[in-house]
Amino acid sequence: MEIIANLMNGFAVALDPLNLVWCFLGVFFGTVVGILPGLGPSATVALLLPLAAQMNPTGGMIMMAGIYYGAKYGGSTTSILLNVPGESASVVTCIDGFEMAKNGRAGPALGIAAISSFVAGTIGVLLLMLVAPPVAEFALRFGPPEYFALMALGLSMVVLLAGKSLIKALISMFIGLWLATIGIDMFTDGERYTFDTVELMDGVNFVVVAIGTFAIGEVLANLISTSGGQMFEVPKGVRNLMPNWQDLKDSRFAFVNGSLVGFFVGVLPGAGSTIASFVSYGIEKAVSRRPEKFGTGVVEGVAAPEAANNSETGGALVPLLTLGIPGSATTAILLAALIMWGMRPGPLLIQDYPEMFWGLVASMYIGNVMLLILNLPLVPVFAQILRLPAYVLYPLILGVSIIGVYSVDHRLFDCWLVGVFGLLGYLMRKLEYPAAPLILGLVLGDLMENAVRQSLMMSRGDVSILYSRPLAAVMLVLTVLVLVGPMFRRFEIWRLKAAEQDV
Amino acid sequence: MIHAWDWPYLTADGPGPGFFPLWIGICITALASVLVVLQLVHAAGQSPVAATKWSGAGRVLAGWAGLMVCIALLEPAGFVASFLLLAVFLVMVIFRRGFLPALILGASASAGFWVLFVKLLKVQLPAGPWGF
Repeated sequence: MEIIANLMNGFAVALDPLNLVWCFLGVFFGTVVGILPGLGPSATVALLLPLAAQMNPTGGMIMMAGIYYGAKYGGSTTSILLNVPGESASVVTCIDGFEMAKNGRAGPALGIAAISSFVAGTIGVLLLMLVAPPVAEFALRFGPPEYFALMALGLSMVVLLAGKSLIKALISMFIGLWLATIGIDMFTDGERYTFDTVELMDGVNFVVVAIGTFAIGEVLANLISTSGGQMFEVPKGVRNLMPNWQDLKDSRFAFVNGSLVGFFVGVLPGAGSTIASFVSYGIEKAVSRRPEKFGTGVVEGVAAPEAANNSETGGALVPLLTLGIPGSATTAILLAALIMWGMRPGPLLIQDYPEMFWGLVASMYIGNVMLLILNLPLVPVFAQILRLPAYVLYPLILGVSIIGVYSVDHRLFDCWLVGVFGLLGYLMRKLEYPAAPLILGLVLGDLMENAVRQSLMMSRGDVSILYSRPLAAVMLVLTVLVLVGPMFRRFEIWRLKAAEQDV
Repeated sequence: MIHAWDWPYLTADGPGPGFFPLWIGICITALASVLVVLQLVHAAGQSPVAATKWSGAGRVLAGWAGLMVCIALLEPAGFVASFLLLAVFLVMVIFRRGFLPALILGASASAGFWVLFVKLLKVQLPAGPWGF
């Protein structure tokens, strides 16, 4: 009852006309920032920090949180329409989202992305409200060995992203892991694979690799045709551009799966929405009645990662608001804002500043409704982009890619790299090496290496620390099951075939 | 792997900077070897490279070269001019359309990008001697 009373007070704060304006501005700018690759929510929140400093804390937090979750709504648009992932979490959406667009179903893909974002965003806020303090304490039990096990579980999803050849997928993933080792080693300050190039000291940015292998690789692979006509079919009529009842029915489990995975991964500092989107996609494929269709444009392949990506926001706010621990770049800036307003983020924040906490929670419910109202009508408009002929669309994709990559760090070197990864993406397509495991390895590689090295430093070289703690052991068992599962399935198919031949 | 040999594998505090790269190298080598062996065992004569159709690869390479030239021109000529040239090249050479549609598309797209990103969103893009 106390929660309901607090939430009602929160709604009274969030429905204040000025706070509604801040909420709308936040989600609107967030959507715009999410659609444009390269412009991340962290940079936008940082840019608005001086403005927020002049506002009251509740209004400022409502606006900045709006940018954070609004950007996640917008992130799916270019992934589905152009195969251009603006952030690493959107890479998984490209897999089935772009295939749906190729099959003339860009509208339903965009619609289901918006609906799953709304459902998951709302579930994420609900969980933030109900379970924030106990879940945050649970997250504190995650030490380096548990993080290692979580990363191993994330990497095991390569089995489900493999396509025709698991070996090729594994090679792709290990190349991603290798790319993650490029740069300065955090433990010894030594350089690795930098070839005396200053630009490589910071490592290879995943945006560069993702845009190169996905967007530019796709454009290059399609340059073989001179026709230059309309790329994909876009059905006429608004009804055909929206998800139908069957799409919603097919996605119902994905909404729940993505929401829960996204929230609980989001609670873990540093884990991030990328691993949440990969894991939810893997779970969705593993439990699906049509796993062989994944990668060819199934609607639940869009719903699950999009839900995870959006629910992660609610999860990421848990350690920030209850423990004062930021789990990502954006929440770190939000932490800075809280400190700037004189608040002390920690276990007493909810108690000391109930107006801010419950006002923020209530504004997130309102913000999610605003985003749905803002995004759904735009679906038919965005889908029209695919009506453009190839000779118009492909140069535009290359332009957006160059701008997206350059705007990350304003370095020409990244543009050269994106060209190289574009050619690599084309070759991977031709030789049937999946690109998603490469991104998975690149994003998780750094975190995994740090977790292993910190664990072994803690245990003074005793490897058993990696599997002897209960949480880590459970996750490693799950990892082994994910890895071994397909082998049993293949064995069963082989056994049945052999039995049929005997008959 | 060759580089990884030069870095400490283990240090007093635990795994050194060479630990991960070395194991990654070993895994890639092992997987690549398995792939080669499987190919030799299963495919009688047809390697994956031979089975892959490379028709149109010349056009792909031409398009890629155009992109790399555009990137090379970004700093001396600026984004607007270099993207204009890339768009004209792609439309005329790769998609075999006329000069006028290529020029209209290139000019309008590069101007549109400039207005949207540089003027409205304040994104910093390379500027040429003309200031854009």
